Amino acid sequence: MLTMLQTLPNAASQAIAAAAAAQSGATAPSARTFWMPPGASTIAPGVDLTLEVINWICYFFFAIIVALMVYFVAKYRHRRGERFRTEFPHHNTPLEIGWSVLPTLIVIGIFVVGFRSYLDIYTAPKNAFDIKVTAQKWGWTFQYPNGAQSDDLYVPAGKPVRLVLRSSDVLHSLYIPDFRVKRDVVPGRYSYMWFQCDHPTGLPAAEVRDPNAKTVAGPLDASQRHALFCTEYCGTGHSKMNRYVYVLDETTFGEWMTKQAQWIDEIPEEELYFKAGPKLFQRCVQCHSLDGVNGIGPSWKGIVERVKGYPMVGEGKKYATYQDYIRTSILAPGDYVVPPYANAMPTFKGQLNDKAIDALIGYMEHLDDFDPKTGKYLKAPAAK
Amino acid sequence: MTTIPLPTSGPVRDTLEARPDSDNYLTHTRGVLSWVFTLDHKRIGVMYMWAVLASFLLGGIFALLLRTELLTPGPTITDDANVYNKWFTLHGAIMVFLVIIPSIPAALGNVILPIMLGAKDVAFPKLNLFSFYLWMSGAVLCVLSLAMGGFDTGWTFYTPYSTTTDTGGVIPVLTAVFLLGFSSIFTGLNFVVTVHKLRPPGMTWFRMPLFLWALYATAIIQVLATPVLGITLLLLIVERTINIGIFNPSMGGDPVLYQHFFWFYSHPAVYIMILPAMGIISEIIAINSHRSIFGYRFIAFSSIAIAMFSFIVWGHHMFTSGQSALMNTLFSAISFSVAIPSAVKVFNWVATLYKGSVSLTTPMWYALAFIFLFTIGGLTGLHLATLSTDVHLHDTYFVVAHFHYVMMGSALIAMIGGLHHWWPKMFGRMYHEKLGTVACWIIFIGFNVTFFTQFMLGSQGMPRRYYDYQPEFQVYHVISTIGSYIMAFGFTLTAVSLFGSLFGGPKAPANPWGGRSLEWQCASPPPFDNFAKTPRAGDCYDFSAVHWDEKTGGYWVDESADAAKDGSHA
Repeated sequence: MLTMLQTLPNAASQAIAAAAAAQSGATAPSARTFWMPPGASTIAPGVDLTLEVINWICYFFFAIIVALMVYFVAKYRHRRGERFRTEFPHHNTPLEIGWSVLPTLIVIGIFVVGFRSYLDIYTAPKNAFDIKVTAQKWGWTFQYPNGAQSDDLYVPAGKPVRLVLRSSDVLHSLYIPDFRVKRDVVPGRYSYMWFQCDHPTGLPAAEVRDPNAKTVAGPLDASQRHALFCTEYCGTGHSKMNRYVYVLDETTFGEWMTKQAQWIDEIPEEELYFKAGPKLFQRCVQCHSLDGVNGIGPSWKGIVERVKGYPMVGEGKKYATYQDYIRTSILAPGDYVVPPYANAMPTFKGQLNDKAIDALIGYMEHLDDFDPKTGKYLKAPAAK
Repeated sequence: MTTIPLPTSGPVRDTLEARPDSDNYLTHTRGVLSWVFTLDHKRIGVMYMWAVLASFLLGGIFALLLRTELLTPGPTITDDANVYNKWFTLHGAIMVFLVIIPSIPAALGNVILPIMLGAKDVAFPKLNLFSFYLWMSGAVLCVLSLAMGGFDTGWTFYTPYSTTTDTGGVIPVLTAVFLLGFSSIFTGLNFVVTVHKLRPPGMTWFRMPLFLWALYATAIIQVLATPVLGITLLLLIVERTINIGIFNPSMGGDPVLYQHFFWFYSHPAVYIMILPAMGIISEIIAINSHRSIFGYRFIAFSSIAIAMFSFIVWGHHMFTSGQSALMNTLFSAISFSVAIPSAVKVFNWVATLYKGSVSLTTPMWYALAFIFLFTIGGLTGLHLATLSTDVHLHDTYFVVAHFHYVMMGSALIAMIGGLHHWWPKMFGRMYHEKLGTVACWIIFIGFNVTFFTQFMLGSQGMPRRYYDYQPEFQVYHVISTIGSYIMAFGFTLTAVSLFGSLFGGPKAPANPWGGRSLEWQCASPPPFDNFAKTPRAGDCYDFSAVHWDEKTGGYWVDESADAAKDGSHA
């Protein structure tokens, strides 16, 4: 019987894979069902099947228990004054053995089905494409082998992708519901997760995230992007750490990766602040505003003048220029924290190179050219 | 000091009519100090009851606040995510530590356990009072922590967030929980000794009412598991104050180690919550079906088995934390083993209805609701014990729905059912029966509306502890919040039914339900010292000698018929 159980999920997943292969050319993930979101990864069918197996067992037992309960209460209802029934069984050994052994066998079956699909989730294929992920309060940075960095997760279609996860501060957890994968991101340690998605979504149509939005944007459409959530509570911005996963076919992915690695290098110095500034500012907007309202960190409105006036900034002092102080704040933020702010800023060392820092400093210097609510460049309509 | 003598021989009519205005444990001594320094387990239990119910109100208010915030994505009633984070943290911490864990053992258990044993009190009455004051100090510190800035760590206090967050109430609440833990340990110790040493003649282990088996198994867990929580909380406090680094990776510590320590207690803790509840359900179903419980021995053994197994499954809370695949596999497999005794208990309860004579009293409605809700809660545990589905469902609303079905829909519902069941005994007043039944239905409907939708929310991918969420989840949240308002209304009606009875409600007979266990053989409310003479225990699930007495509006037990039939009690 056990061998039968073991072959069952295999047969089923093979059937699913065969059906999927028969429709190859279809580029849509499986449809959203009553319980599950669209399934877009190679292990999703196995997980969904496991869930269905468990569900139907649950429906069956729930129905029997509740039906019997209702039936017995109705049939053996006692009315005031009637005599109590006296002919009832105290126990029934065969029945009790039966209803202990049968559920035991069933749960063994459920365990086996779950275990087999779990091994698929846990074990990354050897030829996986590695992407480094850094989680911090409250955002993600995805780093690619060629040095490209991105706020959203772009992955190649049809290839196994392995995420190498680390946190710079507290526990986070990376969860992509459509791929049925999740892994806690632990500070001080690397952990791995993997997935493979065979259905390209293409590049995002437009800038989808408004940094000043009061709520995260939607709707989700699995043919265009997949949601990525932080799912281990990490403080104020825990529910705002959402990002998207874009799946690109091989050529597009290669082009994207190259462009992403070089995008800031190709911008002339004098255009850095309005071409790169707003894009980089997306990483800062969780804590810093442009309109004067202080949040977890000070607002950037008027920041250059303020920094110039700090006691440790100036000729012969610890920070000779205001650019020095701003640069140190980005790379080693605990060095000097202006009260009353807490030492809560994560370091961006390794994530923002010199050009990026120049872009941000330029952004701060030219803040009047940008809309304080949206951060958009006001001077030239064609600019980013 | 007047005591009510027990009839000792001959055909006996239960003359222990309700006399709530004559001498009983509530009126035996007067004045605030007589309560403050009481050693009477019944008074201690009653004080616990009021304190636990007040905490339930407070925890419930936080729940309504957070559910209201979740009516819309983004800000609804607060635009500060920190405030929301404090609400869900407080809701969880108050409900777990101040309500569900102590409610049945400390409130109902303290009142009923010694009387069910025919004893005058627990083994260590002073320790019992000390436990109560430990609980009160914990509760006061918890409220104080709100004034000191609150805490936003989640009730689980995961590191490193809990060791680095700068809300001011963290150390006070950790100390509070430490004290509450000791309250729990001492209560458990007291009950273990009482059950071992103070059983009356004739009450062998297998003649004990199942509520006592349940409380005994719970007490074992309380004594063995809670110290681990105490030390873990101490480590957190030390980490926060002097930064020893045990959970700090940059100092060589391990944040996941905290999770192991925490769940090593907190998994057994959930069985502290559910085992006594199951004991209550066994009592209510047997008495209201007027027949013996089906499979008594199995239910008794399964309580102990569940208590033992509960210590070896904690890792199923940590499948995505970085545990090795081997650990995950072991924990998953063993977790299924705990499901079996629980399932068989449900079968036994349903089988007890078979060929019974079912009276649909308010406690019975609560027991039937328990079977419905615990079945759902327990079955959804299968989804979470299964490795591959848990990867998808962990830390989503599916988990929230699962544990509310077992903690609230089962443990709390059983507690309220037990409260109705023993209310006439405790206070000598009958609550309003029809209102109680209607309130039970409203709570049941509201509960399902609130939490069934959360299963779907979770499986569709909505994470937990989220202040803001994707707009497509909104419809589920709106339905869930409406359910919570329905439940709040139901609980209000329950309060009116119960508390209203204290102000001139009808007097309760000694045995309103026809029970055979010893608490029904003394007056309602019981006298100060429970029994003048230690009674002899018979078969507490033999209802053949129980008869309805129209005059008193209760049942009486024909002791002679019973004695003739059942020769030796030894």
